[in-house]
Amino acid sequence: MNGLLMVAGREIRTQVRTRAFVISLIVSALLTGGIAFAPKLFGGPDEYNLGRVGGQELAVQALAPEAKIIWKTFPDEQAASKAVLDGDVDVALVDSKRVLTNGEIDSELGLLLQSANREAQIGAAGVTVTPLQMQSVGADTRYEGARQGIATVVVLLLFFMIMSSVMVVAMGVVEEKGSRIVEILLISIRPWQLLGGKIFGLGVVGFVNLTAVVAAGLVGAFLSGFATDFPPGMAGIVVSAVAWWILGYAFFAALAGSLASLVSRQEEVGNVLQPMMLLFLISYGVSFFASTNPDHPVSEILSFVPPFSSMVMPVRMAASEVALWESLLSGALMVIAVAAVLMVGGRIYERAVLRTGRRLKVSEVLRTK
Amino acid sequence: MLEIRGLRKIFGAGKVALDGVSFAVPAGQMFGFVGANGAGKTTTMRIVMGVLQADEGDVLWNGRPLTFAERRTFGYMPEERGLYQKMRVGEQIDYFGRLHGLGAASVGKARDALIGRLGLTERVDDTVESLSLGNQQRVQLAVALIHDPELLILDEPFSGLDPIAVDVLAEVLHERARGGVPVIFSSHQLELVERLCDSVGIVSAGRMVASGSVEELRDAEGRRLRVVVRDPKPGWADGLPGELSKEGDRDVLTVVGGDDQAVLRRAVEAGHVEFFGVERPTLVEIFREAVA
Repeated sequence: MNGLLMVAGREIRTQVRTRAFVISLIVSALLTGGIAFAPKLFGGPDEYNLGRVGGQELAVQALAPEAKIIWKTFPDEQAASKAVLDGDVDVALVDSKRVLTNGEIDSELGLLLQSANREAQIGAAGVTVTPLQMQSVGADTRYEGARQGIATVVVLLLFFMIMSSVMVVAMGVVEEKGSRIVEILLISIRPWQLLGGKIFGLGVVGFVNLTAVVAAGLVGAFLSGFATDFPPGMAGIVVSAVAWWILGYAFFAALAGSLASLVSRQEEVGNVLQPMMLLFLISYGVSFFASTNPDHPVSEILSFVPPFSSMVMPVRMAASEVALWESLLSGALMVIAVAAVLMVGGRIYERAVLRTGRRLKVSEVLRTK
Repeated sequence: MLEIRGLRKIFGAGKVALDGVSFAVPAGQMFGFVGANGAGKTTTMRIVMGVLQADEGDVLWNGRPLTFAERRTFGYMPEERGLYQKMRVGEQIDYFGRLHGLGAASVGKARDALIGRLGLTERVDDTVESLSLGNQQRVQLAVALIHDPELLILDEPFSGLDPIAVDVLAEVLHERARGGVPVIFSSHQLELVERLCDSVGIVSAGRMVASGSVEELRDAEGRRLRVVVRDPKPGWADGLPGELSKEGDRDVLTVVGGDDQAVLRRAVEAGHVEFFGVERPTLVEIFREAVA
């Protein structure tokens, strides 16, 4: 265990100290924070500046409680139209009769003004209008949009954060094998300590990256007010995404580490990782599908089948409601798969990592001692 | 004491790399491993260090099969140097020391002593990739020595070193040997091996063709008498054993064994004797003879 921790410690120190790590950490955190904050800058709650010349203010605010409505009064039509042209106000209402616009009016604002005007006139006639009450007889779909968005973010997050860490594992294995450092290392530690330490250490680094990105995203969302749209159980979605990252990373890192031990040159890494990449890309594709179709049979079934489950299940959890037993069962199956791939991968690694030279085949490695 | 017994190794395509290599290196002895490229030196060392598995034969340490825990106390410098290129020199040496089980305090002390000895003090914070090849090799050696190993196996440790570095390394290895550590190294620099080693093993095509102390190998070659006669009478050496060659107006007679006094009398009668003596073969000559 001691040897494993020493190896892990070296991996962490080496990674954390590189400028690339620091820069990518800051950039990705700023980027996610910025994206989460973006709705405030680009969309966000509507804000209307309305001008008025004579007449009465219309009860626009009552019709659009979330929008920010600001009225300004102008002495005459000339001043009002100048303000419209200068963009000081979006539109100006003249004597409760006409609306001055700069070109076409924003359609939503137009509807608001027309409705408010209608209500004002009907109200003046002494008629009270009772608003229609909306009642849903289907599932609660209030959060569907937000869930979809969050699911998409989870897919992308898992995809990039698993892949980047896994590639570092593969490159590190080949670096040690190709340069024969492994021949000296394996005098003092066992192969499982070397591979395990590498997976663990780079996992810690990846985990720090992931938490920084997630934290930045959440902070951005809270600052922008986007967080008010979060569905209930958001904390659970975040925790499960992080937990599934750990399982997915462990699986793919063990696979990548053992496959990478078959080759001795960095140029061959891409080639030898192809089977793993295929598996990973299928997981990615299915989880993307699941983000919009969380209750489709394909999504449901593959959310239990490792390693696809490592990406599909957290996405399903974000996109729709998943029963606790479902995620526990899927998690347990994934843990078993991780243990299996660690065992078989460890054996491949142990037998292949000292055999430098040409690329080895998995079958020949497992056959011969 | 390290004992190698009957190592055999056959590689994939039926190539016999080792065909029954045996030798022993007692405590405190410096053993030079020589042989042509591909003769099996590296393969033997890799088997001792557990990098390769032998098909047959044993590696014994103090009379018992070598275990992982014992091998952990060995120091190894592989043929193809392996270091983390982007890691700093000092950290790298520390890391390997720690992996070998040294504590933080003792690793620091050992590292400082070693880098001082190897002339790396000023490069301790440089990354390995920024060093010259010779300095990288010194770091590689430091990595092999950091944990005060109980056996040293070095594959071509002298290749690529400047004469000063060769002397430093030779001295360091001597110190370790005097401390009771068996030291095994391979080299193509036979003069160096002859000068440094207590015993020598010559491998050829996977076999140990000669081994023993340099003295023993010389004795096995036999005494060789060399006589140089200027302006000799023609036919003076007729009937004498040995080989006669001409170098200008001199005759050179080389005789293995036989009655040297009889040869001397004939030479004195034949002309002016410029040289008469028993020559001992150099390791180079022994080597040529052994692998021929």
